Amino acid sequence: MSSNELSQMAHLMRRAGFGATRDELERRVADGYEATVEDLLHPEAYEPVDIFQFLRYYHFQWKPGTLGGIGQTGWVWRMINTQTPLQEKMCLFWHQIFATGVSKVDHYDEITDMIDIFREKGLGKYRDLLLEVSRNPAMLFWLDNHENHATAINENWGRELLELFTMGVGNYTEEDVYECSRAFTGWTMTPKLPRFHMGRWDWYFEYRPDDHDDGEKNFLGHTGNFNGEDIIDIVLAHPATARFIARHMYSFFVADEVQVPAWEHTPPRDPAAIEVLANALTESDFDIEHTLRVLFNSDFFKEAQFTKVKNPTEVVIGTLRMVGGAELAGPETFDYSNHITYMGQELLNPPSVEGWHSGVEWINSGSLMKRANFVADMVRELDRPGVSAIIDRVKTSGASPESAVDTCLDLLGPMVVKDETREELIEHASTHGEFSWDDANEADSARRVAELLQLIVATREYQFA
Amino acid sequence: MMLTKIVGERVYDFSHVVGGRDQVMGPLAVAFGRDNEMYAVVSALGGGRGITKYTVGLYPGEEEMVQRIGESGQGPGQLMWTSGIALDSDYNIYVTDAMTDRISVFSEGGDFLRSFGSSGNGDVQFSRPSGIAIDQDDNLLVVDTMNHRVQKLSRDGRYLSEWGSEGSDHGQFRAPWGITTDADGCIYVADHLNHRIQKFDAEAGFMFELGSKGSGDYEFDHPSDVAIDPDGDIYVCDWANHRVQAFTADRDYVTTFIGDAQELSKWQLEYVRSNPDVYKARRRVYTLEPEWRFALPSAVEFDSRNSRLMVADTQRWRIQIYNKLHDYADPQFNI
Repeated sequence: MSSNELSQMAHLMRRAGFGATRDELERRVADGYEATVEDLLHPEAYEPVDIFQFLRYYHFQWKPGTLGGIGQTGWVWRMINTQTPLQEKMCLFWHQIFATGVSKVDHYDEITDMIDIFREKGLGKYRDLLLEVSRNPAMLFWLDNHENHATAINENWGRELLELFTMGVGNYTEEDVYECSRAFTGWTMTPKLPRFHMGRWDWYFEYRPDDHDDGEKNFLGHTGNFNGEDIIDIVLAHPATARFIARHMYSFFVADEVQVPAWEHTPPRDPAAIEVLANALTESDFDIEHTLRVLFNSDFFKEAQFTKVKNPTEVVIGTLRMVGGAELAGPETFDYSNHITYMGQELLNPPSVEGWHSGVEWINSGSLMKRANFVADMVRELDRPGVSAIIDRVKTSGASPESAVDTCLDLLGPMVVKDETREELIEHASTHGEFSWDDANEADSARRVAELLQLIVATREYQFA
Repeated sequence: MMLTKIVGERVYDFSHVVGGRDQVMGPLAVAFGRDNEMYAVVSALGGGRGITKYTVGLYPGEEEMVQRIGESGQGPGQLMWTSGIALDSDYNIYVTDAMTDRISVFSEGGDFLRSFGSSGNGDVQFSRPSGIAIDQDDNLLVVDTMNHRVQKLSRDGRYLSEWGSEGSDHGQFRAPWGITTDADGCIYVADHLNHRIQKFDAEAGFMFELGSKGSGDYEFDHPSDVAIDPDGDIYVCDWANHRVQAFTADRDYVTTFIGDAQELSKWQLEYVRSNPDVYKARRRVYTLEPEWRFALPSAVEFDSRNSRLMVADTQRWRIQIYNKLHDYADPQFNI
């Protein structure tokens, strides 16, 4: 097994999942890269996470209230436990695009229902997903389509459909926004039971023909008595949509792009890659699984190691899956979800309809401390199975401080750090001489390895995926 | 919707609901005390938990809060993830705590008496204890969930015996939850992740299993509890199917309860009447039927003194009560 194969597999697992332990990486390298891509693209081959094992201990999560941190814990637990990491990664991807927040919706359960849609349809045809989201009560409420009436047009949903979910600014006119919104009149939800004496109730989509504007519309050069589904077909046929979704996929899976509002004026980082992905979308009728297969097997993806800043969810979930011991729902599961928030990504509650600003914007003096402290706290817990497994591998790597540093860097990535950083790590590891693993010194050596891990996860390099 | 179920010779009549957001938030398990007293392990959002004591009359509106027992925390007499509750013959209250891995004991008046247990898999050690029952000798039967076993302890916490290990063979468990005994001293365990009920004799000898995974008759989805009435009928709290299934002692299917709370409880009604917007919003919906149904009910208990089935309708913050009638006469049709 070459180190290049291992690095390539680790890259794939960081991007298409939340990283992998060394044991898993070695298994997957033995299976092969393309076979692993196929495995990731087929979550149906695995038993889904049994969310009831979480609800048994977090039963108030069934229809959670609106207190900060409560609603996302179930999703965090899923991400820790899933055997299908790409499926959860797709939930994150679509949640970043269809950024719907509890700050307005005030009903975590409706937003987690939307995450369920991403889990179910996130690797399928984009049209199916878009149609489902268009009928999702949380989205209808978030973008005010329940207030979009035949006699009083509300443009919020119609505008964002074109601006953020399909084509991007610069490809349509204000008249198109208005006509698009007319087509979605009558797409609303049923009246709901009040939540305040028995808990929360599900919301349901409802189409009201009597509140639908069934007059003729002129939209993107097409004329007809359009309803919402017709609008979706028209925008998906427009070449701007494939390029726009391709750029989202590139930015999330390949390399950090500028923020979405700048896309109108800033060309893509890799126009050729966007063209490849846009073509894959177009030729497959917007099949996301097909397009991801093209993406993960492309050279531009394989050459993009450590070009993305990890988002907070990747930091927390990746760490927990690496160190282990977080699988059973406990009080700390709630804390884990809060750590993601502290680092700047409150799941189910993005700051705006635009989602989170990503890339280097994840990093500021406060969030960097939170990231480093969280991971450092985890890797120093020697009884966690993942930490213990790392120490076992360091034991067999030799007694010198150099080999301990190199093994730790290898097991945490494999990571490549600046020479200066490596020298400093070796200097620290040398403070107490060589590592000895006899009975008298084993505990102390294990503690020294944990210290090394703590230093490494606090490096600049560790912030990249 | 028929509120009276007539199944062969058995008649179940929906009685009423006891519930309220502030009074019965998230009941996970219930137990009966003296007279019409009932105790519920009540959860509070975010981790603070405890026990609430009520009186529950025979008719709607007779319920009264008596006291709250225990406070949030991990110190002596404090409770965190309370899960199961049982009372001994002196009406002392035993509560399992899945976070601290111990059992706390309170007097009938709510005074803390003692606690025992710690984390681990040895004697009187637990990993997420949940259901608890008192046998005919006043010993405790404690479901030791993540150790996949049942431990039998004396009332003062002395280890007596245990059975079970992880697996799906007879006598094995996967994350068991609720437990109860019948008049003959037989023991029934809700074998949660094996989606079945297991019955054992008083010496823990395997007698039978009931159910498998699914949503049809005889099938369960993560069962959480089981209760037995004086006739030997078996009630299974079919948690993730949001229902309770009833069987004869010979395991013949009788009926299914899905929740029938067509009328609000006293405390719920007080809330609705004092909030005009809520009152109006309830009139705006197409149907109130979703309100009637169970939502992840966690526990069932049969109140033998009053011949009634109590279902802890956990997610709807209430207890739904069904009378089992032995002298029912159908009213004249032209009445």
